Amino acid sequence: MDLQAPFSYFGGSGVSESKPVAGLGPEAGPKVRVENVCKQFRRTAPGFRLRTLKSALVDRNLVGGLSPEESIQAVRNVSFEVAAGEAFGLIGSNGSGKSTLLKLLAGILQPTSGRVLVDGRVAALIELGAGFHPEISGRENIFINGAVLGLSRRQIEERYDDIVAFSGLEDFVEEPVKNYSSGMYVRLGFAVAVHTDPDVLMVDEVLSVGDEAFAHRCLHRIEELLSRGKTLLFVSHSLTLVEDLCDRVLWMDRGQARLLGEPRRVVDAYRESVAEAEGRRHLEAKEAAEEPNSDSDSGAAEESRRWGSGEARILRARLLARRAGGSPGSPPPHEEAEDPTRGPSALPGTLGGLEPMEERYHLHSGEDVTFELEVTSPEGLEDVVVGIGIATPRGVEIWGTNTDLAGWRSERFEGTTVVRIECPRLRLAAGEYRLDLAVHARDGAPYDYRQGLFSFSVTAPQPQVGPYAVHHRWHFGPEIRWAERGDGVVGEDDDNNEESTRRAR
Amino acid sequence: MVRYLLSLRGLIGTLTSRELKARYRGSLLGFVWSLANPLLLLAVYTLVFDVIFKPRMAGASPYSVFLLTGLFPWIWLSTSLIEATSSLLTNAALIRKAVFPAEVLPVVAVLANLVHFLFALPIILGALVVARYLGYSVGGWSILLLPACIAVLLPFAAGIGLALAALNVHFKDTRDLLQNLLTLLFFLTPILYPVAGLAHLPWLLRVMSLNPGTPFVRLFQETLFYGRVPDVGLWLQAAGLAVLAWTVGGWIFRRLSPTLVEAV
Repeated sequence: MDLQAPFSYFGGSGVSESKPVAGLGPEAGPKVRVENVCKQFRRTAPGFRLRTLKSALVDRNLVGGLSPEESIQAVRNVSFEVAAGEAFGLIGSNGSGKSTLLKLLAGILQPTSGRVLVDGRVAALIELGAGFHPEISGRENIFINGAVLGLSRRQIEERYDDIVAFSGLEDFVEEPVKNYSSGMYVRLGFAVAVHTDPDVLMVDEVLSVGDEAFAHRCLHRIEELLSRGKTLLFVSHSLTLVEDLCDRVLWMDRGQARLLGEPRRVVDAYRESVAEAEGRRHLEAKEAAEEPNSDSDSGAAEESRRWGSGEARILRARLLARRAGGSPGSPPPHEEAEDPTRGPSALPGTLGGLEPMEERYHLHSGEDVTFELEVTSPEGLEDVVVGIGIATPRGVEIWGTNTDLAGWRSERFEGTTVVRIECPRLRLAAGEYRLDLAVHARDGAPYDYRQGLFSFSVTAPQPQVGPYAVHHRWHFGPEIRWAERGDGVVGEDDDNNEESTRRAR
Repeated sequence: MVRYLLSLRGLIGTLTSRELKARYRGSLLGFVWSLANPLLLLAVYTLVFDVIFKPRMAGASPYSVFLLTGLFPWIWLSTSLIEATSSLLTNAALIRKAVFPAEVLPVVAVLANLVHFLFALPIILGALVVARYLGYSVGGWSILLLPACIAVLLPFAAGIGLALAALNVHFKDTRDLLQNLLTLLFFLTPILYPVAGLAHLPWLLRVMSLNPGTPFVRLFQETLFYGRVPDVGLWLQAAGLAVLAWTVGGWIFRRLSPTLVEAV
């Protein structure tokens, strides 16, 4: 597809309009200014229709005189400014107020209190689609949409071919929009929006719907708009995209502005908080599964299974990691050699002597962790093997071992004991993992086999392929030069320091 | 409001033509139906009222032609109002996801039905010509005043339509209230019977004069059927109601517009 064709019309009037980049021109003031904006929605309560109408007529809003439980605070006291030429990202979990905020900025919704000022022509793509009419053709929708976005009929006619070419829907423009796929819908919406030559483009989670090729075309177009000093407001759940595209990012959390700043820092903080929440959920799931009354299979968590003769039993298991107070990425001063055959002879002594650890189900890749389990055999056993395994939620084994494989032969086990498996620098890739533990005989006959005893999540500073974060370092000859230096090393001390200094900046 | 809507005339035009096209999309005869429908009505009314019943009412013969001259403006008005009332809800996708000037939608409903009225006009004219040929004293040059009649009914319908559309978003009973009210008002408007035929029922005349639809329907009957230039009082009455409806309707709509998107 010829990428240049759709842009051709900008050669005319568009160029004269293009403004100097933020901070340079005489009118380099903010393009978008949000001052203490709050947005309240009323909960749908039938029976208050007349009161709603009165509130709408008298107070000109829908939440006048509502008690807190009758309304929802979708956006609370948010303030920020976006400069001309800036790409501004909004991230946050579902229901955090991103889309409401974008609708307020686009002028579709009115704030309950506070002010929204937007300077220039706005094109907004909210919630997959710019307001198409399903019954009529793509062609007519282009005209309606263009008219809504402030174009005259002649301007739309001039740009019509470009719009259709950009959307790639030449064969379907005469079809009613209701027959379009969601991808086609978005392609048409985006095509019209960017061809209205907006000063401020607001895009809500659009690029994830179109196919790869279209996403590239959109990004190309967005970059081109940005380079001409236009402003972008971008809502997305694709954090890497936000990181790549945006100059600044705002993290919305339950209606409030949680953090605003440099993309990498905000995205990392957001990922961290999501992982922490997941860790808490894993802990809760584990605790719920350990409730005495839910001990049976019926009450157990989704993927957890347990079987065995019961001659030995796993009483409980925990995942321990360094107390979260310290800087997360920096590993401990762990100078001892990584010798897997170092025996558990040191175990009883170190049980109390470990540095402050906490039970936690959210890890950073490369952290030192300890799996701890309590095993009991009241009757006593000669033949016992303790095994551990880490698997993905879908059951793909990442790693597994047991005392037998490591060369331990049991002589006698009676009573209740604690077993710890220390894993220094557990370099798992970001994701969710499941823990399996077992006590069984050497021939494999299970005493107590527990699959999915608990789950935990791992975050990593950089994305990668595969489940194991191989420790690596890049080296290049002088012939290849880099505009920006990448990371290349995972979990190494000095690089983590570099990482933490960069975060601090 | 007027100037604002004029600035959106491109959008209004596009939406109106879309509305019309959408109605006959997929139908073989398309716009022919716009003609066929009133023609059929005319045929049925002629058969029932001029051949079978022959109602003897002063100043209403031939009855079928009299009926049509009042009925078609009424259909324009009532259908416009019903469609305008639900226009915001049926186009919720447009106003919820884009900065869409919602006031356009009720106006488009009124305009689309105006076009339907204009399509039916040739049938009325044809009927008038035939009636004159048969010796009835109907029609005349006063027909040139028809654009003026349309010009007063248009803001009247649009004003009420705006108010009803906005109210219906908050209060969905509006639509049902309206439909029942229109059925009632139909019989209180001199469409089935001429005003002249009510001289012996002064109380009914008084009730009828309170019906805001009456002066508009009478304007059309005077210019089309009786071939008379309507007197100044009637013009003033209709124009006054039109200005009132437009002002109040526009005010209600503007008042409610900040809350429409979230309530719709």
